[in-house]
Amino acid sequence: MTMSAETLDLKDKCILDFQSLEASLNGQSKTPFHAVRKQAIERFAELGFPTIRNEEWKYTNLMPALKAEYVLSHGLQSQVLKTTLTAKDVAPFLVPSMKANVLVFVNDSYAPELSTIITTLNGVTVSSFAEALQRSPELVQKHFARHAAFENDALAALNTAFAHNGAFVGIAEGVVVEEPFHLVFVNDARRNAVLSQPRNLFLLGANAEATIVESYHTIGSHQGFMNVVGEVMLEENAVLHHYKLQNDAENSTFVGATQVHQEASSVFNSVVISLAGGIIRNNLNTMLAGKATDTHFYGLYMVGGKTLVDNHTLADHAMPHCTSNELYKGILDDRSIGVFNGKIMVRQDAQKTLAYQSNRNILLSPNATMNTKPQLEIFADDVKCSHGATSGQLDGDALFYLRARGLSRERAQALLLYAFAGEVIEKIRIEALREYVDTIIAARLHQEELKAA
Amino acid sequence: MLTISNLQAAVEGKEILKGIDLQINKGEVHAIMGPNGSGKSTLAAVLAGREDYEITGGSVTFEGEDLLEMAPEERAQAGIFLAFQYPVEIPGVSNTNFLRAAVNEVRKARGLEPMEPKDFLTTIREKAALMEIDQTMMSRSVNEGFSGGEKKRNEIFQMAMLDPKLAVLDETDSGLDIDALKIVATGVNKLRSPERAFVVITHYQRLLDHIVPDFVHVLYKGRIVKSGGKELAHELEAKGYDWIKAEFAEEIAS
Repeated sequence: MTMSAETLDLKDKCILDFQSLEASLNGQSKTPFHAVRKQAIERFAELGFPTIRNEEWKYTNLMPALKAEYVLSHGLQSQVLKTTLTAKDVAPFLVPSMKANVLVFVNDSYAPELSTIITTLNGVTVSSFAEALQRSPELVQKHFARHAAFENDALAALNTAFAHNGAFVGIAEGVVVEEPFHLVFVNDARRNAVLSQPRNLFLLGANAEATIVESYHTIGSHQGFMNVVGEVMLEENAVLHHYKLQNDAENSTFVGATQVHQEASSVFNSVVISLAGGIIRNNLNTMLAGKATDTHFYGLYMVGGKTLVDNHTLADHAMPHCTSNELYKGILDDRSIGVFNGKIMVRQDAQKTLAYQSNRNILLSPNATMNTKPQLEIFADDVKCSHGATSGQLDGDALFYLRARGLSRERAQALLLYAFAGEVIEKIRIEALREYVDTIIAARLHQEELKAA
Repeated sequence: MLTISNLQAAVEGKEILKGIDLQINKGEVHAIMGPNGSGKSTLAAVLAGREDYEITGGSVTFEGEDLLEMAPEERAQAGIFLAFQYPVEIPGVSNTNFLRAAVNEVRKARGLEPMEPKDFLTTIREKAALMEIDQTMMSRSVNEGFSGGEKKRNEIFQMAMLDPKLAVLDETDSGLDIDALKIVATGVNKLRSPERAFVVITHYQRLLDHIVPDFVHVLYKGRIVKSGGKELAHELEAKGYDWIKAEFAEEIAS
């Protein structure tokens, strides 16, 4: 296999940066935490960045995005990235009227001066990942890289190697937090191209409940590359509502993996909304490791231009009586590209599994493409699983019906698209966030007046 | 109001309408009857502007304008309303939002301002009561999960809201029990006016007991083979379509 010189450049640069990072560590280089990072960089060195010859990356070519002269958020040049962002700069990334804990990360460093913590409950720990590691090394090490495997995932390996910054949210047993945690990740690419690698860890104790919103943003005209890994541990009966909001600039490349571990009777509700960006790759995996868990994966991608949105999901049913339900919907315009790869794994012990998956796409332009691949692997016999995928145009009968009532073709189309997207939008439980997303979509479709109704 | 001259239309190369002539003046109610496959629904679809049909000949003018040159929405804005035989379910679009958009588009075409929200709701309430439409139906998605009768009542309700000049009812009676049929007919009759014309397409005469037509036309194999007053409907009911088929089989074949 041949690789371009540019690819080798960034790969080598990452490895070199790791070495310098390691040299700067004093006693810390002996910790079990760092031992994992070391394994990870070795694995990354073996794997290299994935090319389209890798089945998991068949439709998503990262190579062009790797060519920029990135400054890495760790290691040698990290001081270059000292940012001067102000509250005014990040204000557009906040969700109006969402009463939330806001944690802002700039080039993956936690920016306390731009953050606001409003929850004062006992049993709620929210900090940067680095601070959590310092404060509770055993706790962090217990989970670090235990859920998000990097053996076959070069980008997860790279993130793991540099794991330092990012968010930590810990909710103690039985604590229910009303206010969402909004994690705002910003790449400040005003002076140079930036590669940042936030590492997140969310731990919810038994019967705990929380809501986390993640959004990703690029400022400036240089390339921004964000490689995020989040690990989520849901103890028995814990409930996490998780939202990802992606409405970024064209010069952004995003690769994000969320790996969830669900213990018995826990609930994981995920909504991923992708509205703009350069390349967006979301890996969302949940391991249903306890009985009677409940998992909901909802996704909406509505993009145009040359945006590529790639959603890879996995519901891994390892235990009986678990339910997973997945609905991803896409609206693709111009030359945009969509990828959906949804895997349902039902292991031998996972009897009485209910697993549903649906991926529905509307292509608005002859130049837009959608690649969809459902994958079911079932090794238990007493299960109910279904999947379906469609890609096509808007329903002609519905379009005619609306036009026959006086709506222009454009208006009728917009109304139908708004309704199509609405099925996912309505899954957002935070009213302010739902309104926010709804407003963006309505404006894009010129449907403000209908929304007001 | 509406003049159809030698209208011919085909779908996928198969000729369905083979030369229709029909003159409809305001205030008139015309019934179009005929056996299955005679082209009744095609005529309705062509008048509403459905693009699956190819016009192969003839002309249609509506208030002096070339109807066939107009997009479906332009026809609706000009005052033509088609009550669908199979109203389409549109998940996620509420009846109220849909109607607001439709009413305001039609008003805009007539040079009127959008209806004030308060007036809109009052009008909805008034017209919905007429068609015995429950307020909960208004917040539901358009036709989604509606029974056959609810869908047809919803069509006539929309017609009342849009205040058309010419309404085409495409087998509005199909699938209705007698109670629903009466509600639909009562609604239509209340909308009858010297300014408004109706084309009532039906297979059966029973709807015409409730919506009494001024003229009855029999469509058979793509042509109007017989026209008359309301008594023609009774004659058809008594004799069945075989009578028409027997009488015209030879002529059509030739």
